[in-house]
Amino acid sequence: MATYIFTYASVLESEESMLSDLAKVLSENSIVNSERNDFMLIISEAFTNALLHGNQMNPNKNIYLHIDIKSNQLSADIIDEGELGLREIQSKKPSELYGTNGRGVDLIRHYSSHVDFTEAENGGTKVSMVLDRKLEKVTS
Amino acid sequence: MEITRKEENSVAILSVKGRLDLASGASLKDEVKALMEKEQIMIHLNLAEVDFINSSGLGVLVSIMKDIRLHKGRLTLSDLASYVQEIFEITQLSHIFEIFTSENEAVASYQTVSAS
Repeated sequence: MATYIFTYASVLESEESMLSDLAKVLSENSIVNSERNDFMLIISEAFTNALLHGNQMNPNKNIYLHIDIKSNQLSADIIDEGELGLREIQSKKPSELYGTNGRGVDLIRHYSSHVDFTEAENGGTKVSMVLDRKLEKVTS
Repeated sequence: MEITRKEENSVAILSVKGRLDLASGASLKDEVKALMEKEQIMIHLNLAEVDFINSSGLGVLVSIMKDIRLHKGRLTLSDLASYVQEIFEITQLSHIFEIFTSENEAVASYQTVSAS
């Protein structure tokens, strides 16, 4: 099992830094193909929500990323320091086909094995996502 | 993200490489805007080398499509990796974009439309 903790300022450039850090973590742990893509996608979506809706791009507020890698599960928590993020997620309407936003939470729900949106201890929003790993069958 | 540009049979072809997300999507939008300012409204995006896309990247593509259609133009996409194609299907965006298997097929379709 491996655990990683990262902290990012709420600025646009942090998304690229986070994705680069995440790609490195996944590569170090030999997580590839669909597991890699799905995990990157759900973390990216939660991160963007935290950046835009939770912290509202306030550079003085942080976004925290915790990653746990186990043989049977990949887990990630994204925590922001905003006040509106959770309320926005809870009141989210279905995305419109021709809309330019609103698909992120739907994608998190689709690709995660388990997801929880809760209030963090700091008053922000905590998104906890788990991806069950597809274990390779052992053939004799 | 890297964007390379060429033109074939009056269709502007942009090949996109790398991640298509919140930060990089702005570059693609600027590139398309520059084409439209030169009255180039037949635009094809080859997404073969897009190795990551999220909802922000999808939002950029929808925004580009709406702009082009507003100007009576046409946007096509091609060469989506299976992972990217799956996201288009989950979000149902595959219903509103013209998606081709290959760039050649997409470019040929512009000739068919203008000939008919």
